[in-house]
Amino acid sequence: MILTPEVLAIFILNTIFGFFAVIAFVLSVKIYLNWNLDSTSNSQYRLEKQSFLTATIIKYIFIIKVPLFLFFIFTLDKISNVLVGAMCGAGVVDATEYGTYLFILKVINLYIFAYWIVLHNEDIKHENQPYTKLKFGVFILAFFLFITELILEGVMFSSIEIDKMVSCCGTLYSNSSTSYISDIFAIETPVLLTLFYGNFLLIVLFYFLKQKYLFAISNITFIIISIISLIVFFGTYIYELPSHHCPFCLLQSDYHYVGYLIYTFLFVGTFYGIVTGFIESSKKYILKTYHMSIIFNLLYVILLTLYVIVFYIRNGVFL
Amino acid sequence: MIELKNITKIYEVNKNNKVTALQNINLTIKEGELIVLKGASGSGKSTILSLIAALSKPTSGEVIVDDKQISKLPDNFASIYRRDNIGFIFQKYNLIPTLSVEENILLPLVPLNPVADELQEKLISVMKKFNILHKKDSLVRNLSGGEQQRVAIARSYVNNPKIIIADEPTANLDETLSAHFIEILRELKSLGKTIVVATHDPLFFDLDFVDTEIEVHNGSLVV
Repeated sequence: MILTPEVLAIFILNTIFGFFAVIAFVLSVKIYLNWNLDSTSNSQYRLEKQSFLTATIIKYIFIIKVPLFLFFIFTLDKISNVLVGAMCGAGVVDATEYGTYLFILKVINLYIFAYWIVLHNEDIKHENQPYTKLKFGVFILAFFLFITELILEGVMFSSIEIDKMVSCCGTLYSNSSTSYISDIFAIETPVLLTLFYGNFLLIVLFYFLKQKYLFAISNITFIIISIISLIVFFGTYIYELPSHHCPFCLLQSDYHYVGYLIYTFLFVGTFYGIVTGFIESSKKYILKTYHMSIIFNLLYVILLTLYVIVFYIRNGVFL
Repeated sequence: MIELKNITKIYEVNKNNKVTALQNINLTIKEGELIVLKGASGSGKSTILSLIAALSKPTSGEVIVDDKQISKLPDNFASIYRRDNIGFIFQKYNLIPTLSVEENILLPLVPLNPVADELQEKLISVMKKFNILHKKDSLVRNLSGGEQQRVAIARSYVNNPKIIIADEPTANLDETLSAHFIEILRELKSLGKTIVVATHDPLFFDLDFVDTEIEVHNGSLVV
């Protein structure tokens, strides 16, 4: 077990969030099952008061959880210093059998929590609260994922053995047989870049055509293609090393913490892109989600592309 | 038009301590009417006012104002409804003692972010109407009871609300000032305002310009 101040902070916050989430869950089930805005009965008025309280609890849990994801990554990176063999957060994730699942779950939850916040903000903008039932339904689903995340997080940090040797990112993110993602390195670079820029162009196309479902789908595929492209191709230009593919090292001070910026651009861009297809709202708000998505995805693409161009200008070759 | 339909309001202090303030009441107030709710303390008059103003929600039943079910409004929309439709006159005036007359009257307009010139024009006209212009820069804590009451009325009127609600407005005034307040009410009614007054002051009874007097007794209405 590892107990650094950061891990302790995560445990304490998780306990508080877990406690309030259980209260919110019980009330959410009640609201979801009995909500009827047309009713003027005592029970409906009571539910309306409770929905305000419950939504406030959930909102604050999720609003804190979203930036806490960055703190989680920061913590992984920090404790990699005390694990033998680990060079960055990748080693910590791989140190136990739960790390990878936790990480994937956290990314999925990040999108769900952010979606809930958007849904809630839209709901309270309207007198007839059109998304109340949906938002509590989404929370009921999110609650199980959230609790699973808390448990996995606790189990992962508890299972880390400091004196046990772990793999470094150079082994984990490579085309060697020891890497569980070696398959992605089999993709030819031209194919990968065509997919990456092609997917981005599709996003731009659907942005101009205002095809919201296609826009959302192209954003979902863009998350996957972007991360693969970052690991296989763009990462090497950030590290200026053809053999270094780690998606975690770029979060370190050696690379000016650029990873936080890159991942924030990708998250905000794709999140708003997906939201466009999953929410019925005013034309103004939908336009805002289109704009946010295209701006942040564009920033992501420009930033990664700049690394390649700058490297070429400096060195006269590609990696 | 204001409609209260099958309204019950129970204040639940805790599970063993429940107070039924209103019991299944029905009330209709037409636009431009002046209604006096009379009754002893604790009879439920102020609760009716707070429901009309969307300050609280009923335990069951509906409050409808101009075809809008205001008892179902979420809190943020209830605030907007109050801002746009309701003027309040309280028994203890509820003025901010450290602000001047002008600043107190200005308060309901702040969320509307009005243009400075229009604002000044409006303030002066309202202060003139309620004969308080000469005190505009005085702190309200330095004013007499009657003057404070006039500031409170000016504040309730400044955003041009459709409905004016007065809760025991003359409880802190002597007979002369109360009579003056009643004259102001007459004027407000002539301007087409819907006015609901909760009082047990006999000065309000049998006034020629009052449309309906309703007695509230133990949470029920006696017309």
